[in-house]
This record gives sequence, structure tokens and C-alpha cells, in this order.
Amino acid sequence: MKEVKLFLGPQHPGMHGNYSVHMYVDGDIIKKAYPLPGMLHRGFEKLMERRLWMGNIALIPRICVVEPDINEMVYAMGIEKLGNIEVPERAHWIRMIILELARIAIHLMSFGGIGGPTGLYTASYWSIADRDLILDIFEKITGARVYHMYIVAGGVRKDLPEGIEEEIIGLLDYLEKRLPEYEELILKNPIIHARLKDNILLPEEVVWELGVTGIGMRSAVDKEYDIRKVKPYARYDQVEFDVPFGPYSDAYTRVSYKPIEIRQSIRIIRQSLEKMPKEGPVRVKISTGSALRWTVPAGMVYPVIESARGEYGYLMVSDGSEMPYRIAVRGASYPQGLLGVEKYLPGHRIDDASLWMDTMGVCAPEIDR
Amino acid sequence: MTVDKSVFSPIRAWKYLIEKPVTIPKKLVFDTPREASDNYRGFHINDWTTCVGCGICAEICPTNAINMIEIDSLEQSTGNKPERPAIDYGRCSFCALCVDICTSDSLSMSKEYIHLSKDADTFYFLPESDGIHQIDFDKGYDRDEVSELLDLERYEIDETPIEGRNESFIEIIRGYSKEMAIAEASRCVECGVCTATCPANMNIPEYIRSVWTENLEEGVDYLYKTNPLSNVCGRVCTHTCETACVIGNRGTPVAIRWLKRYIVDNTPKEDFERVVLSNVSEKINGKVGIIGGGPAGLSCAYYLRTMGYEVDIYEERALLGGAVRYGVPEYRLPEESVKEDIEMIRKMCVNFITNTKVGRDISFEEIRNTHDAIFSGSGNWIPKKLKVINVDHKDIRFATKFLEESRDYSRDMGRMPEFEDDIIVIGGGDVSFDVARSLARLQKIKNGKINIKFIARKPIEFLAADQEEVVEGKEEGLELRLNRSPVEILVDENNKVYGVKVAKCTSKLSENGKAKTTCSEETEEIYAKEVFMSVGSDPDFEYFSKEMMENLEMDKNKIIVEENGQVKGYPWLFAGGDIVRGPDIITAVADGHKAAIGIDEYLYNREKI
Amino acid sequence: MNSMNSIYENLKSKFNILGVDYPDDMQMAIDLDEKDIHTVIVYLKSIGYTQLSMLTCVDWIKEGVFQLVYIVFNWDNGIHILVRTKLDRENPKFRTIVEIYPGAQFYERDVHEFFGVEFEGNEISYKNLFLELWDDMPPMRKDFDPQKYSDEKYAAREYKSKFISEVGGEK
Repeated sequence: MKEVKLFLGPQHPGMHGNYSVHMYVDGDIIKKAYPLPGMLHRGFEKLMERRLWMGNIALIPRICVVEPDINEMVYAMGIEKLGNIEVPERAHWIRMIILELARIAIHLMSFGGIGGPTGLYTASYWSIADRDLILDIFEKITGARVYHMYIVAGGVRKDLPEGIEEEIIGLLDYLEKRLPEYEELILKNPIIHARLKDNILLPEEVVWELGVTGIGMRSAVDKEYDIRKVKPYARYDQVEFDVPFGPYSDAYTRVSYKPIEIRQSIRIIRQSLEKMPKEGPVRVKISTGSALRWTVPAGMVYPVIESARGEYGYLMVSDGSEMPYRIAVRGASYPQGLLGVEKYLPGHRIDDASLWMDTMGVCAPEIDR
Repeated sequence: MTVDKSVFSPIRAWKYLIEKPVTIPKKLVFDTPREASDNYRGFHINDWTTCVGCGICAEICPTNAINMIEIDSLEQSTGNKPERPAIDYGRCSFCALCVDICTSDSLSMSKEYIHLSKDADTFYFLPESDGIHQIDFDKGYDRDEVSELLDLERYEIDETPIEGRNESFIEIIRGYSKEMAIAEASRCVECGVCTATCPANMNIPEYIRSVWTENLEEGVDYLYKTNPLSNVCGRVCTHTCETACVIGNRGTPVAIRWLKRYIVDNTPKEDFERVVLSNVSEKINGKVGIIGGGPAGLSCAYYLRTMGYEVDIYEERALLGGAVRYGVPEYRLPEESVKEDIEMIRKMCVNFITNTKVGRDISFEEIRNTHDAIFSGSGNWIPKKLKVINVDHKDIRFATKFLEESRDYSRDMGRMPEFEDDIIVIGGGDVSFDVARSLARLQKIKNGKINIKFIARKPIEFLAADQEEVVEGKEEGLELRLNRSPVEILVDENNKVYGVKVAKCTSKLSENGKAKTTCSEETEEIYAKEVFMSVGSDPDFEYFSKEMMENLEMDKNKIIVEENGQVKGYPWLFAGGDIVRGPDIITAVADGHKAAIGIDEYLYNREKI
Repeated sequence: MNSMNSIYENLKSKFNILGVDYPDDMQMAIDLDEKDIHTVIVYLKSIGYTQLSMLTCVDWIKEGVFQLVYIVFNWDNGIHILVRTKLDRENPKFRTIVEIYPGAQFYERDVHEFFGVEFEGNEISYKNLFLELWDDMPPMRKDFDPQKYSDEKYAAREYKSKFISEVGGEK
């Protein structure tokens, strides 16, 4: 039969972000696939070299739209390591609360995102509505809903507003009540079972070949490979939480890990609220003088954290001046989004292509930068 | 999880029929608009009454969304530029860094966040306190101590300890260490408000930057562009720049004067000389005579030499420097520093003709005949007298003469001046403190104890003197008797001064921002063996001919000159410094510079004819 | 830190290491001559550094070199090793590592596109990936000025807001 060339994306309901894949199909089987990134290339790395260390906080959250806080955190950690800056205790805990709230938000969103490729739109409506409640909390803490610009080098930008603790706990209670309903709707759903079970496998060899991390890796290699566990940052070494892992990675397993991780994040936030110092400083200045003249000692460092999609890091180089010398972003979905698509998307059916992108966790903006 | 195969599972889904939806109905969205959170980063608000137009918001803006717009209805004043920020919401990322760094606390953000328009130009917006749509919204995001992006406190400078300070003429300020200087320089935000305020318009942000980047040679170059007495001005300048400094709006201003001094003190001598002397030009045909080797004359000489003119300076006293060498006491301005500055000018091949008073040792006409142009910066050396009874008594001493003697003593060029062990100083300005504090040191050295009463009409906060002077003077043991206006010098039957009779006064701020002092009938007598008076001084124009004195346009006792220092009616004569304006060194330096440019212009035009 | 010291001692006994740096207590950076890169990376992979986290490049224009940084990660001990080498900036050519880490394929393509470093043996890396129809020097090089490029290519936006004529002159 004749091969047909098909474009998936850049505008496509089953595609998260503006990302495109050229597929050559035979019948409804994909024969060849070529990723075509660059639709969201905004030159972040170059822009960062031309902005102040402080000014960059307006820029970096935009690298990943749904989970902006990881960028702020990695960037802040890099500066702190280069400058040997001790972050105040309270700031560590606030950062963890923010990061875990963000993790819940993105898991909810991608959990609902499964609605697109499967036609189960109720999931999307629910999850987007519930994510908005988290954004409300973010708005109260940081002053913005999506791009928080809150975690800064040396701590956080402002202390928590009064009474936010109760609100967070109220939200967590609500989410815990909602989670069984999500599971009922999605994980027990026959459509989901039919489409996801034993579909889109990710064997262990492929994980190592591509360098996949995050849920995809943990579900395949049966090990607790989570940066929060392997090399804890902030105060993750002082809270108890479990990371789901297993030996068999199909689309269904990977989706089913998300509510588990949400529950663990809720656990972390509850512990953080309990354990964090009730008052105290939340920020130290990274250098003397006004922000226009903040400098960071020369050096090269690779700060790394666990995002919802896996290992997320920046290679940061400073030459001691008031602007970064070079920052290179390691987006967590880089391996599966490029080489993965090219090598392992072929063989699947056309209607599974967007499912593939979703459950592998391909996030276009962090690939394009 | 497995698929739910129960027959009841469809029925269970029915419960959502009676549950509240998670989404918000459209009607509610419009009927009860959602209010943003308390620190929401919405549209900007700018309070124009506090905004100083420094432009730091535009500087920090990561998206270049802010432009400073010149506003015609606003006026330029000390520490204030007639500009206000306009924000392009096509670029703005609502990061609020502009709010965090605002030096005047004028920028903040409101809870308003909706603006709809088909016209792209409406997204370019000049915020005022009423918001983008003139609708009343609560304040949203504002800066607090945590989000602060300025460094408000000054870094400490090394000082001689207070104990024992009054026992000698050793300089009080020892200067910044390298780390501290760089830290202090990093506080600067390069707004340039100071430059407009400085009489000499020094390149202040530029030289502070060169301290920060540790490129001191470049710093020296910037200093000498507008001020050849940097060593002196790095120590005793009146620093109006620091009054203007925008960091001072919420904190302590950047220590501009001490940073200037840091550059001069820490540049290696050879480098310093190389940088300065590289500005000297080959001699051209043109000779200028300068009357008075004070700051104005020296500055004029320097810039004339950089243009290539031959320069002769006529100085009455043995040493060049004028007020900086015979007025300012050693503990504020060491002899070494003055010497270095003047030596640099001498090395530029300026002729110093000392011990030559114009009008006494050489006539003004002679100078006129042998030079193409003349600059006069002869200064104020005749003391003013208060209008009080017995003010003409022979034993009353005046600042200029005493400071001269005291300075000569401290540089080992003269005997210790004579003085009593119980003294009254009448004054209020910087010079009066120079007198009192010099006397305190001399008393301490001679007698081991200090007994000086300082009388001024105004309270501390309204004194003309620098607040530092007052504080340090008190620390050193001066007895301040403020709010007292002298009415009579008390003289006993043997014609000996024994004190001052004063009237009690009160001062308050009047509408024009100046202090208004009123004195009552109530008097008291303050006793001492000797009275020093330091209430200003007048110029000495003896050297001008009678005819010239009649023709010169004068305002009280100051000569009226053109913008470039040219004296009206005498195109070849230029003047500057205290005889034109006063009252400080930096103004004199600026006058000298302007006059040099004026002379160059005059001679160049004359040549053409 | 101790474990990193022992790793360093181990590497030092086998290879010619030009420099070492510890940016963090779970991170080590080693500098190598370009000819040693492949052997060291193969060795590191064999002792547990099974993941290539990133490959990128830094342009040290003043020194006239490109610095390649290979970041490998061992999930079991949580240590990142930054393997670095310097290439001549005038003729940046290197050999691919896709046989060792297949995941490097797109990183190499990335580095080629943004810095112009060529990786022999990875033919696909010569194809543009992110920047369609790019017509200038590789943009992440330090001597590329994006402002200038943008000024030449695109018209600047003119502001014609009403308030400017109302309250002040244009600046």
C-alpha cells in the first residue's frame, strides 16, 4: 500500500504545546516518524545571557508553562551553589510546598489531558477546574496564577501571606476527596483500559538507550529512581514519602502513577506545613548592592531537581559578572520527545500517536526552549 | 485497577446529576467579577508626587517594557528628573521587579487586570495613581523588606576612633578598604540624578562603576574630565550629589565622595600620573594669566593646559591652593592630598608665581599687557562682621586669619597660633566648625583640656553646616549653645573682651522650606576670655583700577558674569569661584572649567578676526 | 564527598585528567584532552554512569575555544559527572558518542545547530532541527548579536500613543 505523509500538530487537541511530528503511515500504522520541534523556540538560553541574574526570573518560568516553578527552583539552586549561599530554613520548606503544589497541578492537568486522545473529555473539565483551585493558592502566595516568579536565589520573594496554611490544608482535603472520583472515572473506565492497557510499552533497555527519566523510567526499571530520593534537595530528606515504581511500563501504568504521586505530594505538603519554622527569614541577598549589580562567583554547576516528567537541570556557567555566561536547559522530556519519537513511535497506530506523546510526558516548550 | 464490572456502576454515575458542577456558571462570571488576591500583580500605579523619575524601573525591566517619558509640566530639581515611566503592556511580563526596585516607593500594582481594546496603542500606558481606566481598585502587589532589591545601608568606612581624635590633626576618615569600596559602589543604580546636581556635573555613575569593576585608571580619567582637584574634592566636597542620590529616598545615599576618594587614594602613582598627563596638549600660541591659585584658578589652569595654552598663576601666599590650603583644617584635608593635586597641575607646565600679590607686587595692568586673557579667582578673604555692639574691638578674632595660622602650624610651617583657654566661637557654617574644632585640638595639645562654647542662631537641624560636622564637633568636646543670637560683645572697663551677650531665639520651618528664626528680648551673658567670629567673608577687589570698579556690574559684592565666566564689558576678563558665586570648592572648580572653555572660545574667535 | 574522591582517584590512576572541580557535594567536573573523552565515557558507563543527562557546549570566545560538557549520571549513587573538553573554536570538529549513548544523537544535533560544532559519525546532526531557514552564524555563539539581527530583519514598533503628545515631547 502507498505511504501517506501525515502531520500531527503543531495545532492538535492531542498535542500538548505547539509541537509537530511528521508521520509516514501505511494504513493506520505509523511507518516513519520525524519530530519537528522549534515551534516554541524562543531562544531562552541566549536571552538569559543578556539579562541580569535577577531579571531572568521573569523569563525562566516561561520555559515550561504548566510547571513553571521547577525552572525557578533549578535556577535558584544553581546560583546558590555557585555563590555558596545558605538558604534560610523556612524558605526551604516554602519552596517544597510550592514545588509540590505545582507537581499536583501538572499531574492533574496531564491526568485530565488523557481526555483529549481518548475522547473522555469529562476528565479534562474536572482536572482543569480543580487545578484552578491550586492556581488560586498560588495567586495568594505569589501574586500571579501561572508564572509565579516566586522562588528566587537566596530564598523566596515574599513570606507566606497570613492564614494561607489553613487554605492549603482545606485544598488538600478537597483533593483527597476528589481523587477516588478521578480514579473511578479514569482508571476503572473500560475505554481507558481498552486503549491504554498493554499499549505503548516502554521496556527497560529503551529507558537507558534514550535516557528517559521520571515516571516512565520508574515504571520500567523497578527502582525508586527519583531525584528527590537519590540526591535530595531543599528538605526532601526530612519528609516521608513513597515513590511508585514497577517493572512493567505500559501507558496505563504510567497514567495510574499520577494519582499516587499526587497523594504523595499531598503528604509532603502536610508534613512541610507541620515541620516548617513558623517564622524567620525567608531570603538572603545573593550579593551586595542593588539588584542591577548582583554578581555570582565564576564557576560551572549542574543543579538538578525532579520535575513531574523527570530529571530537570540547568548547566549554569558564570564568569563572575552581573549576567549569566551560559545556561543550558535540560528539559526532562528531551530524550523521549526527539529520539523517542523518531525511533519508537513507528509501529504504533495513528490514533495512538497523541496518546504516546501524552503518556510519555512530552512537553514541547522545554524541548524547544 | 480493573474495570468496574458491577451492574450498578452506571447508576452510581447518576449522582452527578444532583451534584454541584465544578465549573463556574457564565452568569456568575459577569455578575460577580472575581477579585484578585491581595498581592496580585495587576496593572501599574505610579504616585507622581513621590516618583523622582530616576528610571531604575526601566533599567531593571527584563523585557524593556518601560520607557522614561519626558514630561513638560514637571521641573528638574535636586534629586528629581522630569520624567515618568510609561509601560508597554505588549512587552510587560508582570514580574514586578520594577516595583521591588523602585527607589522612591512610588510604583506599585493594583488588583485590576482586565484591559480590552482593538487599538494596540492603548496598551502603551503612562501609569498615574488612578490606574489604567481611572476605576478605583485596591492595591495589589507592593514591595516589602523581603522582596527589596536595593541595598539601603551604607557600608562602613574606616575612621579614626573618637577617643584621642581631638588630640591631633590626623585625618579622621581613613578611607574604604577594597572590599568595602566595591560593596559600596555596587549600591549605585546609575540613574545619573547626581550628575545633574553636581555643580561640576561630574561623571559620577561612570566613576562609581569603575570602582565596582575595579578599573581605577578609567575612574581617574572620568574624574579629571570635570574635576582636576579630585583628591581634595574626594575629602571636603559639600557633596550635593549625595543629597540628590535616589538611594537616599529610602535609605542612606551612596557614599559618592568617599568613592571618589577611594579612586584617587588607590590608583598607583605612576598610573595616575600617566592618565592625567596624557590629556596635556602641545603648547599653542596663547597665554593666560590667572589671579589666585585657589580651586577656581587651578581648575581653569588645568583645562587651559589641556587645550594647549600657556598659563601663569599669580598667588599671594607661599603655597598654591587658596582656601583648600589655608582654610580647610588638616584633619579634614591632609597636606599630602592637596600637594598631590597641585603637583599634578604643576607637572603640566603651569607657571606658579607665588608670594606675588596682584595690586601690590605686580600691577593688574602689567598682567593684562603680557597675557591674552585673564581669569580671576581671587576668593573671599576679608571677614564679615556681625552687626553687634563692640564688633570692631581689636581683640575679636576672625576665621580666615586664624585658620591660615593654624594650618601653617599643622604643616610645620609656622608657630602655634596664640589663643586663650576659654573661648567663644560665633558661627553656624562649616567654616565656624573648622575654627572651633581646630581650636579644640590646639587647646588639647597645649592645655590638655577643651573649653569652647559654640554660639549659633539656629538649632542643629537648620544649621548651615554639614550634620557630620555638628556630630563630630560634639563628640570632640565642643559645648554647643544653639538658638542664641549675639547682640553685644561684652567689654570690661580695662577694654578687655570677657564674653558675649545673646538673645534667645526660636526657629521653625517656613512655607518656602527654609528656617525662619525669631529672637526674643530675653538675653543672657556667656563669658569667655576670647571671642572668635566666623560668619562669612567678602572679596577683595583692590587690584582692579578705580575706573574698572566703577564699570563692573556687581550684585552686592559679587561680580556678575556670563554663563561662561566672561565679565560683562571686559571680554578678555573672566572670573569664577567665591568672587562670583561661592560657596564651595566644587562650584569653584566648575567655574574654572567653564571659564577655561570660555577663554578658549574667546581667543579662538579673536584669532579669526 | 568521600565517594567522589575515590572515583576521582580511580579515574586519575587510569586516565590523564587535566583538572578537577567539585561544584557540589554530589557533582564532579573533570577536564580531559579531547582524545580521552571516548575512553573515559565508555569507562564511566561501565561503572554505573548509565545515563547521559545532557551534552552541551560553552563558547569561551576570549580563549578561542568551545567547551563540550558531557553530563553523565549514576542513579544508584546520585553522582553527576561533568566530563569536559575544549575544542579549537576556529575548526570545531569532534567525533560522535552515539555508539556509547544513543541518546546523544539529538544533543549533538542541538550543539551543531547552536554552536556549529561538527560531530563526525552523526550525519543527521548536520540537519537543522529547531531553526527553520536560519541564515546567520550559529546563534548561541557569543559573537552573535540577536539585537542587531533583529534590528536588521524586523521593523521596530513605533509608539504613537496619545499621552505622549498630550503631556510631553517624544524622547
